[in-house]
Amino acid sequence: MAAKRLNLREKYQKFTRDLAWEPTYQKKSDIFPQTEFEGIHIHDWDKWEDPFRLTVDAYWKYQAEKERKLYSIIDAFSQNNGQLNVTDARYVNALKLFLTGISPLEYAAHRGFAMAGRQFGGVGPQVACQMQSIDELRHCQTQIHTISQYNKYFNGFHDWNHMHQRVWYLSVPKSFFDDAMSAGPFEFVTAISFSFEYVLTNLLFMPFMSGAAYNGDMATVTFGFSAQSDESRHMTLGLEVIKFMLEQDERNVPIVQKWIDKWFWRGYRLLSLVSMMMDYMLPKRVMSWKEAWEMYFEENGGALFEDLSRYGIRMPKYWEVSVKEKEHLSHQLWATFHNFGHAAAFHTWIPEESEMQWLSEKYPDTFDKYYRPRFEFWRQHTKEKGRWYNPTLPMLCQTCQVPMLFTEPDDPTQICYRSSQYNGEQYHFCSDGCKDIFDDEPEKYVQAWLPVHQIYQGNCGGASIPEVLEYYHLVDGQDNKEYLESNDRANWLRWKGMADTEADREVQAVVNE
Amino acid sequence: MSHELSIEPVGEAIEVEDEQSLLDAALRQGLYLPHACCHGLCGTCKVQVLEGEVEDDDASPFALMEFEREEGYTLACVAHALSDVTIEADIEEDPDAVVQPVEDYEGTVVDIVDLSPTAKGVFIELDRDMDFQAGKYVNLHLPDVEMPRAFSLANAPSERRVIELNVRLVPGGEATTYIHERLQVGDRLHVSGPYGRFFVRRSAPGGVIFFAGGTGLSSPKSMILDLLESGDEREITLFYGQRHRAELYYHDFFEALAAEHANFTYVPALSEPNAEDDWDGATGFVTDVANEHFGGRFSDHKAYLCGPPPMIDACLTTLMRGRLFERDIFMEKFITAADAAQQQRKSPLFKSI
Repeated sequence: MAAKRLNLREKYQKFTRDLAWEPTYQKKSDIFPQTEFEGIHIHDWDKWEDPFRLTVDAYWKYQAEKERKLYSIIDAFSQNNGQLNVTDARYVNALKLFLTGISPLEYAAHRGFAMAGRQFGGVGPQVACQMQSIDELRHCQTQIHTISQYNKYFNGFHDWNHMHQRVWYLSVPKSFFDDAMSAGPFEFVTAISFSFEYVLTNLLFMPFMSGAAYNGDMATVTFGFSAQSDESRHMTLGLEVIKFMLEQDERNVPIVQKWIDKWFWRGYRLLSLVSMMMDYMLPKRVMSWKEAWEMYFEENGGALFEDLSRYGIRMPKYWEVSVKEKEHLSHQLWATFHNFGHAAAFHTWIPEESEMQWLSEKYPDTFDKYYRPRFEFWRQHTKEKGRWYNPTLPMLCQTCQVPMLFTEPDDPTQICYRSSQYNGEQYHFCSDGCKDIFDDEPEKYVQAWLPVHQIYQGNCGGASIPEVLEYYHLVDGQDNKEYLESNDRANWLRWKGMADTEADREVQAVVNE
Repeated sequence: MSHELSIEPVGEAIEVEDEQSLLDAALRQGLYLPHACCHGLCGTCKVQVLEGEVEDDDASPFALMEFEREEGYTLACVAHALSDVTIEADIEEDPDAVVQPVEDYEGTVVDIVDLSPTAKGVFIELDRDMDFQAGKYVNLHLPDVEMPRAFSLANAPSERRVIELNVRLVPGGEATTYIHERLQVGDRLHVSGPYGRFFVRRSAPGGVIFFAGGTGLSSPKSMILDLLESGDEREITLFYGQRHRAELYYHDFFEALAAEHANFTYVPALSEPNAEDDWDGATGFVTDVANEHFGGRFSDHKAYLCGPPPMIDACLTTLMRGRLFERDIFMEKFITAADAAQQQRKSPLFKSI
């Protein structure tokens, strides 16, 4: 009989685990100084189950072939002027939000996983983090290359990384990742691998990638496929990290619960930008934010937390608030961006009648009652007195950095205000979730770089909107403001051979079936 | 039309229908293969085809690369067999598993006993010896009943010729009604087996805990007898729950066994004892009784669960809260159509439980 076949786990262990060694002339705690301060107790790193078994040799083969396929499709896309096949020029505003808000996060994840991998004392998570770190770098690069085609034809794509560091609403995604990266390695992987990549990723990726497919953007769809094949590895890593910590020591359970509470809420607040993208920015819509939240969080997430309850883990704190807010979130966000559209790196507009009809159907209890009247008022106001922009600056939440636009969970007519005192200063929050996060680590969040505060302190180029826009590298009248008055729209009509008369100056909707 | 699907390294062979994916066929046989998206997009269910041909046109070119296709890899969630197929999957071969060929036997009913008001013990003498590992089950073919039914073997593996099956009457159940109302001593029946992947991890150190409820006593009974007969000296505890005393069949048998073996502890529990039961044992659910018995700590044990789904579910929570996890918990798994429909509510957090 032939020698017994090794199973895949044994083969993988032979390939990887033997890379590790026990140090002899340095203390392990000196080599991995960050493994203990978070309070997580690990007794046996060998209990780590490799969530995927991929050797570096195979990894390069995979990624090289993915790159070849992706770039050949991107080439075909640009040679065939694929950008002209999207449903409407309004669609590219979703891509602007993606490139300035999400792609830099891929790069941040690349850095974060490199740091976490360096700090874990076990070789299993070291290898997993290293590969994910390289994946994230690839995702960032391929997104930039995919979207660069649009930069040749549309405004607002020209300096996405600069904008990510400075523009007011982009501090929401930026501070999210900065918060995770400045935590310890265990909190970082709980935040990113578990809460973000596992629990919430479908709500980020699905809307953008399905949105691209629905709106004829085949280049972005292809990028999505290419990334999704890595994403499954990242998601299984998220689950393994949580199980590993929970099983290693019961003292880890309350710490992990606290992180799940925190990073659920941080991630959920970040996704409010996606809610607006789904319900307002896609000319052809995939599903409503409310439907997506029900399917991906309430159902799938609910099943996960049912299983996690066996470890003594409960649903993330304030998840009920997210369920109440699903009726309101996207409308409140888009209304705010509409008012501050002169300071945004994309265009805004009032949904046209068939789109309002869609919103009424998707939100029968809230849209007609609370939000349609606002949009109709603004449309009328624009006709009579011109497009209105809010000349003041919004108050930001100290934790999530979203403007204080969310309403009380049980009263959609009252803005939700919370505050805390710390060292004689008062700090403001959009919700109980954000206040709790601050109260737990105030010395961390008092350092937040809040764009509005920074403008008022004179750190953003000046006190006037044109000065701030210049500081953002946004060209006034070109990259910002109303879509109907934009170069993007004028160019689009020209390329598509359509007339641009005053009478036609209505958003042309692609009505959903 | 169907083909045979052999799965390495565990050496299991199962049937797969033309329109069925390899993954679906494996899962329905209780064989877990890693999977996630189920649409050929993520690549989690990648397996290598060692022999035979498959069709996998629905696999995404980003999830299954050209070089992998050339090396014979496929995605089990979208692959269909075009011939008999052998695949190598990412499953672990357990050192304690005994691979026993499934064979067909003819048997004669030699005894039918009333174990309780709702359960009967059926003893069948086979036409030849059957070797089986304690914990396995057989498929029983009954006259006038179209599909065979699975029953766990309740006798010790040392008894190879006369097998014992415990059958609870399921209201409206075609097969159990037949057994309870029409089956006679002397009847000839067709039996195939042994099946299943439920067995004692003898190579693992530490104590053994069994949980049994309903008619889930069969496998634990066979396993415990097997352990004790082989002179195994580790600590063995059986938590056995029924509603009231009349349903607590084999109570006297296990009391005697516990008296005879110092390393075997028998803890029966009644959830709703009747007044006339005169019950002085534990009252409540087996999980609460076990929690108290072990002081809420189950670490360093292996646990084996057999019973109705709500009991299994409660046991998992109790054991995990008591710091015993997936790798140390084993259970009998039958995936029925109803379970498959329920699986939508299941997250991928756990693989084997």
